[in-house]
Amino acid sequence: MKVLKFVLIGVVLFFIIFPLFMMTKYSISDRESIVTGGEYPEPFLPFKPTLEMFGALWSRSDFLKAGLTSLWVGLFAVAFSLLLGAPTAYALARFKIPGVAILLFLLLSVRLFPDISAVIPVAELLLSRPFSLLPPVVLVGLAHTLLALPYTVYIAKGVFESIPKDLEEQAFVLGAAKSRTFFKILTPLALPGLGAAAIYTFFLSWNEFIFAYFLTFQGTETTLPVYLLRILSWSPQKNFISAISLLICIPVIIFTFLVQRYMREGLTAGAVK
Amino acid sequence: MPGSIKISSLLSRLKSNFFTIGFFIPAFLYLFSFFVIILIFLLKFSFSGDIPLVHLLSVDEFKAALWRSFWFMGIGTPLQLVVGLLLALLIQQSYKGVGMVRSLFMIPIAIPALVTAIIIDLLFSYPFGPINDLLLGRHGFFPQIITLPVNWSGSEFLSLVLAVLGKTWRDMPISMLILLAGLQSIELEQYEAAKTMGARSWQQFKYLTLPLLTPAILTILILRSIENWKEFVFPFVLAPAYPLLGVLIERLYHVEQNPALAASVALALVILIALTTLVFTSIAKMVREYLVKV
Repeated sequence: MKVLKFVLIGVVLFFIIFPLFMMTKYSISDRESIVTGGEYPEPFLPFKPTLEMFGALWSRSDFLKAGLTSLWVGLFAVAFSLLLGAPTAYALARFKIPGVAILLFLLLSVRLFPDISAVIPVAELLLSRPFSLLPPVVLVGLAHTLLALPYTVYIAKGVFESIPKDLEEQAFVLGAAKSRTFFKILTPLALPGLGAAAIYTFFLSWNEFIFAYFLTFQGTETTLPVYLLRILSWSPQKNFISAISLLICIPVIIFTFLVQRYMREGLTAGAVK
Repeated sequence: MPGSIKISSLLSRLKSNFFTIGFFIPAFLYLFSFFVIILIFLLKFSFSGDIPLVHLLSVDEFKAALWRSFWFMGIGTPLQLVVGLLLALLIQQSYKGVGMVRSLFMIPIAIPALVTAIIIDLLFSYPFGPINDLLLGRHGFFPQIITLPVNWSGSEFLSLVLAVLGKTWRDMPISMLILLAGLQSIELEQYEAAKTMGARSWQQFKYLTLPLLTPAILTILILRSIENWKEFVFPFVLAPAYPLLGVLIERLYHVEQNPALAASVALALVILIALTTLVFTSIAKMVREYLVKV
């Protein structure tokens, strides 16, 4: 039984790692290892590993531009969803609001539409005046805010609920206004927790394809996933596609590992009293 | 006058809660106005285009896409359940290195769906690709299974199978986590009792784990069927010649420049998802009642 279990773990790990291994392998492959002409099978390790694809990408202005666009869209989505979401989360965590269940449902309601259905109206709206006058980075950022905001509110609500209410009461006794308490006392305390929401939003935006694709369909300025898809239409070499794919994945994989550890520590920290 | 008293008391309440409302409103307004805009747009276009929603079933493209989406959902959902359950069972008990295995099992969700689809496309490329090389027996260690390379993206069946596999690979951590939470909520004493009464591990699984896991399984079925209905990226990259509903929406909007018809299909997709959820929820209710009786 135990042996079977470890064999199964091995098999599953193989299926998880294999595609990623192949992507990494292709990205450092030399020409002979990918253009075989059918004379010999593709080797599982490149004949002459090379980093030339990464060098080539580093000097491509369109790739760097797409990387910067992705970065700015992500940062914009983070800023906008925290700015809108944190106050709402605070209000939900602290004040008694009549009909709060209905309000929460309405907050989530926009996510009831499948992305591919919602994107048609959103594209029709944002790609017509006056919105179309805004730069594409802002338009995609607004769409990603729409996707991330419900989760931001949900995470931030938990963060504010974990901060003792006494702090605010003391501030109130000392004569601080509600808004001052929020910005001067609560926000600094909530920052680490809000950071988790920010990271979540950023990588949602970094990975997002559908809205970015529809909103930048005709423009030259676009995010990395859409850039990757556009590259495909030139039928480029496998090593070129794989190098871009790898560069998109690396930050997300690193952060997933980091955040996981942080999450587990968070789960166990308060477990024993 | 009672009316004016009402209004003035309402106004004073508004005034005293000004801070709460001011804090609450921005995100609420943003999300809710988009909800209203999307809903109105979809409804308006679905009933005003040259082919309104009610006549969609007479469009051959739509029927074909509906049928493919149905199979995609019908095969993908149980597959994702089984894979998720397998993964959850493998990391349920603690052993040395379980944390590492769990972290590794989480990797697929970190990979963007588009990248996953493109890697699968590379692996199954035709005529010379790693998988074709393998199946042709060109590597010494693997037996020859086929004599001619398979053109995966040229076959409706095979390209949609690849799309289902890609979706399953990418999303397995989600099903795994939900089922893991379900497994860990089963108390150890129940297994102890079963063991004392002489139940073997298969019997424990069949008579204890599965029934107690039913709520988690039903949750997975509902969430996964929604997710599979609305899938876009995997079939878009791996089976562009055989559109599912999502891919059809994109094609109608970008290639055929027909936003009204695209919106009709988009609304049809919303309705299908609502109906599926309704069916699964009522099945879930029946199953729960049945289990309580037993």
